[in-house]
Amino acid sequence: MSLQKPMMRGLLAKRLRFHLPIAFGLSFLAAIAFKYTVTEPRKQAYADFYKQYDAVKEFNAMREAGVFESVRPSGE
Amino acid sequence: MAHPLQLGFQDAASPVMEELLHFHDHALMVVFLISTLVLYIILAMISTKLTNKFILDSQEIEIIWTVLPAVILILIALPSLRILYLMDEINDPHLTIKAVGHQWYWSYEYTDYEDLGFDTYMIPTQDLAPGQFRLLEADHRMVVPVESPLRVLVTAEDVLHSWAVPRLGVKMDAVPGRLNQTAFIMFRPGIFYGQCSEICGANHSFMPIVVEAVPLEHFETWSSLMLEGA
Repeated sequence: MSLQKPMMRGLLAKRLRFHLPIAFGLSFLAAIAFKYTVTEPRKQAYADFYKQYDAVKEFNAMREAGVFESVRPSGE
Repeated sequence: MAHPLQLGFQDAASPVMEELLHFHDHALMVVFLISTLVLYIILAMISTKLTNKFILDSQEIEIIWTVLPAVILILIALPSLRILYLMDEINDPHLTIKAVGHQWYWSYEYTDYEDLGFDTYMIPTQDLAPGQFRLLEADHRMVVPVESPLRVLVTAEDVLHSWAVPRLGVKMDAVPGRLNQTAFIMFRPGIFYGQCSEICGANHSFMPIVVEAVPLEHFETWSSLMLEGA
C-alpha cells in the first residue's frame, strides 16, 4: 500500500492560473461598474438638464433674487 | 462655487468644461481598472508562501506587460488630444476682454468699441453682506454676454498670476510682457467664481475673479452705464 505522490511542482503556476483571470475580471468589472454608475449617469444628467433648460426663465429668477450686479430686479 | 466636502468638479457651464468632465470620468475609469488589478495582485502575493526564485525571463509576459499599457495609454491619449485641440479653437469671438493681473487685484479692459476698464478688488470678509461668499466676492464683476463666444487676453503687470474660472474650464497664466489667449462660451446666465492660480505674493489667495453672464441686451446696458460713470 503506497501513498499517491503529492504534487510537488507547478504550485505557483497553478495559483497564478487561478488568480490572474480573477484579477483581470475584477478590474474590468470595476471599470464597467464605474462607467455605468458614474460616467453614463453624468452624461445623461447633463443631457436631461439642458433638454428642459430655459435660460431666460433662469435669468429672470436670478435677476429677481437680486444676485446680479449689472442688472437690478425689475421693480427697482 | 465649490461646496464644503466637495470631491468632484463644479458643474460645467461651458461646453469645454463638460468635455473635460467626461474625459476625467474616462481617465478615472482607467485608474480604477489598473488600481483594482494591482491591488488584487498585491493581496495575492502577500497571502502565499509560494515563490519561484529561478525565473530568468519570459517573452510572453514581457510582451503582455508592454503591449497592454501601450494600449491603455492610447485609449487615454486619443480623447485627451481631441479635447486639447477643441480647446484651441477660437471661433470668431464676439467680444475680447483683457484681464490684467496685478498685486493683488485684477483689472478688466473692454476695448472693442469704447475704452472701458476697471479694477476689481476682493471684498474683505468684514464687509461681506449676508449671503455673499468669503474670499470669493469682488467689488466689480467681469460682466459678459451669455451664449456668445468670448476671447480673454490674459497678462500681468508685475509678477506671474493666473486667471482661472473652474466652471468654465478656463485657466490661463498671466505672464508679464506676454499676452495669453483663451476663449469660452457660456451656456447659462449666472455668476461664476474663480481665484488667482499662480503664487504671486502675500495676497495671492485674496484676488478672486467673478464672471457675471447676462443676456446681451443687459450687457450692453451695463457697459453703457459703466462708460457714463467712468
